[in-house]
Amino acid sequence: MKRHMQATELARDERFVRISTEERFNDPRQVPREPGSKRRPGPQLRPERHEAPDAARAMMHAIFTGEIQALEGAGRTCWDFEVGADSPFELKLDMARQCWDEARHCEISVKLGDHMGTEVGEYAENVVLFEAACNPDPVLRLTGVNRALEGLAIDVFNTMREYGQATADPVLEFCEDWMLADEVTHVKMGSDWLRRLTENDPERRARALEFQRVVDKLFSAGGFRGDEDDSPVKLARRFRELAGFTPAEVEEISQLSRQARAEADAAVR
Amino acid sequence: MAAVVVTPEAFTLVQFDAGRIAELVAEVAGRVGLPADVEVRVEIDERVPLGRSRLTSLDPITIAVQGGAFENAKVPRTLSDRSVVDVVGRLLFRAVDRLDPAFADAPADEALTLPQHTAWDAYAVGRCERVGYAPSKPRRLYHFRNRHGFTDTADRVFERLWSADGLTWADLDAACAETAATRP
Amino acid sequence: MADPKKPRPAFAPWDRRELPGAFTVEESARRVGHYKWVEMRLFEALGGWVATVPELDVKMRLGTHTYKHAWHAELWHKRLPELREMNPERLTQPANDDVVAFFDAMTEPEAPGETIEKLVGVYRVLIPHKIAAYTYHLNNTSQITDAPTIRSLRHALDDEFEDWRDGEMLIQSLIDTEEEVERAAAHQAQLEAILVRGGGIAGKGSIG
Ligand SMILES: [Fe+2]
Ligand SMILES: [Fe+2]
Repeated sequence: MKRHMQATELARDERFVRISTEERFNDPRQVPREPGSKRRPGPQLRPERHEAPDAARAMMHAIFTGEIQALEGAGRTCWDFEVGADSPFELKLDMARQCWDEARHCEISVKLGDHMGTEVGEYAENVVLFEAACNPDPVLRLTGVNRALEGLAIDVFNTMREYGQATADPVLEFCEDWMLADEVTHVKMGSDWLRRLTENDPERRARALEFQRVVDKLFSAGGFRGDEDDSPVKLARRFRELAGFTPAEVEEISQLSRQARAEADAAVR
Repeated sequence: MAAVVVTPEAFTLVQFDAGRIAELVAEVAGRVGLPADVEVRVEIDERVPLGRSRLTSLDPITIAVQGGAFENAKVPRTLSDRSVVDVVGRLLFRAVDRLDPAFADAPADEALTLPQHTAWDAYAVGRCERVGYAPSKPRRLYHFRNRHGFTDTADRVFERLWSADGLTWADLDAACAETAATRP
Repeated sequence: MADPKKPRPAFAPWDRRELPGAFTVEESARRVGHYKWVEMRLFEALGGWVATVPELDVKMRLGTHTYKHAWHAELWHKRLPELREMNPERLTQPANDDVVAFFDAMTEPEAPGETIEKLVGVYRVLIPHKIAAYTYHLNNTSQITDAPTIRSLRHALDDEFEDWRDGEMLIQSLIDTEEEVERAAAHQAQLEAILVRGGGIAGKGSIG
């Protein structure tokens, strides 16, 4: 088995169909209905919306495929790097632990899919999480995946948990709360390793944080995740701080999201 | 066979085939029991990837959908026969009901509460299954529980509506009252 | 209640643990170093394979098993300094070149159609050898002086038995035809031969 595989090589059964990030972001239907009107960043997961249950199902399926890729990404980090100064033994142990956690998240997601009436592979899969997990530098990999994407997972799980609370769905709320606990641990792993491995290498730390910014901005997706009243997925500030983000870092993501949204608004004007 | 008019006739943002949609809708119209000479209009807003769908008129019977309602979620922007049949079957059964005097008291769609909508949907989609389609029952149950509570009562009422025939508006309204009484 | 001042034997009559054992401190440390090396190669391979197997149930199981072997590696890593090996890396070694060749051959399958080979290598060859090597150590080392190793061996063995059963059931669920039976058997024989040459995961002179 070779080291460092590509996202295109991910093995899936025939139920799964893939959609590229370009295809997703270039969907021409994202234009507003009335030319010149201020676009909305996407529908919020509010129970009073007619389509809210289907929106929750779609979001849960996206979480599910994200969990598969998080599992695969952590697994590849166990395999791709020899133990050394760049990837210490303890880092690999953390990644193996994450494999177990993400495998459990896959199991939870499949059960939740059953609960929500969703079939495995019902929605297209985007593999951007695994793409970030292909970075050849383990520090950048952990920063992009554990801090940026799993940080996003915290925001998404929190949104789903609130939806579960609002609809008095005990299963959804229970599952999201447990997964949220694990994700906080994973983000913290990313934060800890970033600090430890770049302690004496400010240039590498800067590159890692830049990679995180790129991923964070990509996933603020025109304001999809942000701090505004109508952001579909809200920044989960409290959980992010538990996970080792400083208030300034959370503020920066909020800023990036506002910027991504402003750029998307400008593009349709 | 029902006369079906699909607008637009050609799509530019999605790969939908109006002819195929008309064919599917005509077949559904027949199976739900609409008269052969009825006209069914389907208006699709292809610019919106979301999945809202509504019955906007009974004369002629008009269904308005956002493009996402008909798409194949596995391959975005392509048509899914199953999605078309799911949405149209559910709404045409509602049209059939509304044309029946037993539903004369039903409020207009805009005035229905979310529990009333989902109760009616459960009743409609259960019948879709019995006329030979394969809608997802677990999906409908999830919708129903979202609006009627994650309770044994809600599940029992859902099962009853799903397998029912010949209900009246009063029956649906009573079902909603029954679940409301046990909602936490 | 008995008189609290009355002398009692240090070993209760039912405690039959024996002092003598087959392994010196050095010998136990050497074996533990081999175990750590093997557990590391195993968790790395399982982690790497997760992305290459299309079967969802296998993918999730491998993810779970990855952690268990990493945890065993950590147990052995922590045991080494207790066995007077202050530089654990020095003893984190394969028993010999044949063991290295075995892991190279075991981790060769990569394609999505080779799940049977991947699972056979781990669950029909390596894990049975690990169970044998760990049991050999467990049953031969001093029950008193090497108790910390025994405790870790027991924890690891619990996992090995459970994972072996998981893996064997997955293999049986994937094998449908006589050709697949032969495929599995041929791969098993090829890997087994390499490991036999090396004398098992702990090297020549013991079982496993
Ligand atoms: Fe996860
Ligand atoms: Fe995670």
